[in-house]
Amino acid sequence: MELPKVLSLILLLPLASAVVIALFLRKRGNLAALVSIMAGFMVMGLSVYAILHSFDPARLVYPANTPATALPSPAMQTWQQMAGPTWLDFSRHWLQFGNYVFSMGFHFNNLSALMLLVVSFVASWIQLFSAGYMADDEGKGRFFGGLSIFMFSMLGIVLADNLVMLFVFWELVGFSSYMLIAHYYKTDFANMASKKAFIVNRIGDFGFLLGIIWCWDHYGTVRLSELENIIGFHPGLLNSATAVKIGLLLTCGFIGKSAQFPLQVWLTDAMAGPTPVSALIHAATMVAAGVYFLARVFFLLPPETLHWIMWAGAAMTACAGLWALGQTDIKKTLAYSTLSHLGYMATAVGLGYPQLAMFHLAMHACFKATLFLGSGSVIHACHHEQDIYKMGGLLKKMPVTGLTFLLASLANCAVPFFSGAYSKDSIISAAFLKGHDEGVVYYGVYALVLIGALCTALYTCRLYSVVFLGKSRSDDAGHAHESSASMTIPLVVLGLLSLGAGWVVYDWKWAGGLMNGVFPVGCAQVFVSAFAGLSQTLEEKGLGHSLEITNILVILAGLFAAYVFYGRSQTAGDPLAAKSPRAFRTLERHGWFDDVYDWYVAHVQQRICDIAGALDVLVIKFAGGWGTAGATGLFGAALRRATVGSIHAYVYWFLAGVLLFWFFAMR
Amino acid sequence: MQPGLQAYLAVAGIIFAIGFAGVLLHKNTLVIYMCLELMLTASTLALVAFSRFYGAMDGALFVFFIITVAAAEVAVGLAIIVALYRRRRTVQVDELNYLKH
Repeated sequence: MELPKVLSLILLLPLASAVVIALFLRKRGNLAALVSIMAGFMVMGLSVYAILHSFDPARLVYPANTPATALPSPAMQTWQQMAGPTWLDFSRHWLQFGNYVFSMGFHFNNLSALMLLVVSFVASWIQLFSAGYMADDEGKGRFFGGLSIFMFSMLGIVLADNLVMLFVFWELVGFSSYMLIAHYYKTDFANMASKKAFIVNRIGDFGFLLGIIWCWDHYGTVRLSELENIIGFHPGLLNSATAVKIGLLLTCGFIGKSAQFPLQVWLTDAMAGPTPVSALIHAATMVAAGVYFLARVFFLLPPETLHWIMWAGAAMTACAGLWALGQTDIKKTLAYSTLSHLGYMATAVGLGYPQLAMFHLAMHACFKATLFLGSGSVIHACHHEQDIYKMGGLLKKMPVTGLTFLLASLANCAVPFFSGAYSKDSIISAAFLKGHDEGVVYYGVYALVLIGALCTALYTCRLYSVVFLGKSRSDDAGHAHESSASMTIPLVVLGLLSLGAGWVVYDWKWAGGLMNGVFPVGCAQVFVSAFAGLSQTLEEKGLGHSLEITNILVILAGLFAAYVFYGRSQTAGDPLAAKSPRAFRTLERHGWFDDVYDWYVAHVQQRICDIAGALDVLVIKFAGGWGTAGATGLFGAALRRATVGSIHAYVYWFLAGVLLFWFFAMR
Repeated sequence: MQPGLQAYLAVAGIIFAIGFAGVLLHKNTLVIYMCLELMLTASTLALVAFSRFYGAMDGALFVFFIITVAAAEVAVGLAIIVALYRRRRTVQVDELNYLKH
């Protein structure tokens, strides 16, 4: 099959599945699950087919002559190295307003191939897991329909060839996230969390939309390939203040979707949704879409914009890591971990290494999906208990979950040879390199990401030792037993990937040179050469080993401290809460962002609403509503007087009317 | 002496005026209706006269259509008046004032 056909099929299969479920299978949960899971695995198969079948070794290197600039800027070179040459770029006319033509189409390169693979792979296994996790749920049909529509929207973002189409699917993703967070719609908390997620995302998307419109106005196009050519031919365009503003506005979309400062508040509440949803949408794929978007338009981001992204990302890495220590809910701990890792990816983009951000995105998708699915398995076994201090000793009762969770936890901490280590360490090294090369102030970024790494080791070890080691802390945990096969198989698959996915950097080719580690060569190309380049630079400057040793020491210190402090604690609750309630409370309230926003909404926004409401009553209700109604009523009353009930009178009226017309016609 | 176009138009105008006066003055729906027909006839007479004096057949042709349509219209109109009478037991317009405010 031709590539465009395969890609259309990949995009439309989940939509078809969602439509079939919405129309016919809402009451038949098992059938809906079957349809959705089958669509998921078919998409996965087709993605692998599309990537391997249409692979061409020439696609590994960006053609030297396109776009025809003598000397592409360093950012453009980075982008070209990451995205590789375009495999496919086509668009279809969608609709037209005046001179503005909206189109839909696919822009496919190594970068989108990698994202397509990650999304379809992780989503399929999580859907299989959901079949077990949601087995007894009443709204199973609705749930799987939601997963399918999410798949459709996410694949649309991955494949979109222009920013408008990307925005359409961006909003669809927001909608499906909203729908799935509110799955347990009978609880107030889920309803409020879904609204919060949607509204906070809208705030980010508002800036995003402005950015897209301004981009259209400034560069004259929103097609990615055309934008790339424009920036390629005229690198000077990025030096203007407008370009910086457009870059910052586009970044707003990333900030909303990837829950970065200051819009991070929605992600942890989004954990009110079912755990597979948290795994798929709020850890592995959707929140990573923001990072993917930044990588996709990397050539549009001027250095000033990258600067902001870097500092905000690094700050989020450290803060979210600390906040994770203040959570007693297993899913919330993982949610803050996700925030912290998204911070790493943002830092990487900001440092000028979008390749490493994509590398970390892929690795993070594997191990964070495992962590969330593992927590789902635990929650399922403990009868929907989410408080880690009511679990304990689960490793013996749930060995498969416990061991896969261990693999993913080690990857999360970036212990050497686990997948997370390769990507995370390279980001930390890149931050150090920035400080080394460009000024002492950038060591601040290095310090922040290093604090993030320390916190990661702390909260991961805390989580693991409290949940899986020690003794049972409640009856539910005491009676827990291993989950069914449909839940353990995805855990094993993703758990093994958390261990081995990072070995791709050793460039081990197989299947006739088509595969590199677990990735097809094209996908691996996105980050492998950048990783090698960075390692070589570090080697030349004699920094490689010292950075590696620092990382390992930091991780070991974190693991050891957490094990001593949390693992051996005899208190019923959190030992930090017992020793220093104030410090724990600070972490638990995650920097009082929610409280500040609450105060703002209640005291500032509400006042503005009151004034607007009063104006509404005054102008629209009194003047507009009552005014027009009164005037029409008066006119009607006058007309009523003319209805005298005598035909002869009407004839005179008629005559008068004819004379009037005649008079005007003769004039 | 042949009568001229003005004579025909004068007759048509007089018939039209008689019909219009009848519509205005009579109280019986049936008579009002007949007066309306009189006005229609006056206009057809004017058409025929124009047709005759300008040598074009358009006006005369129109008259055939008008007569045909008028026949159908009279049938409907009379049926309405009969139905009205059955329901209200009167055809005097003074008493047909249900729509008065």
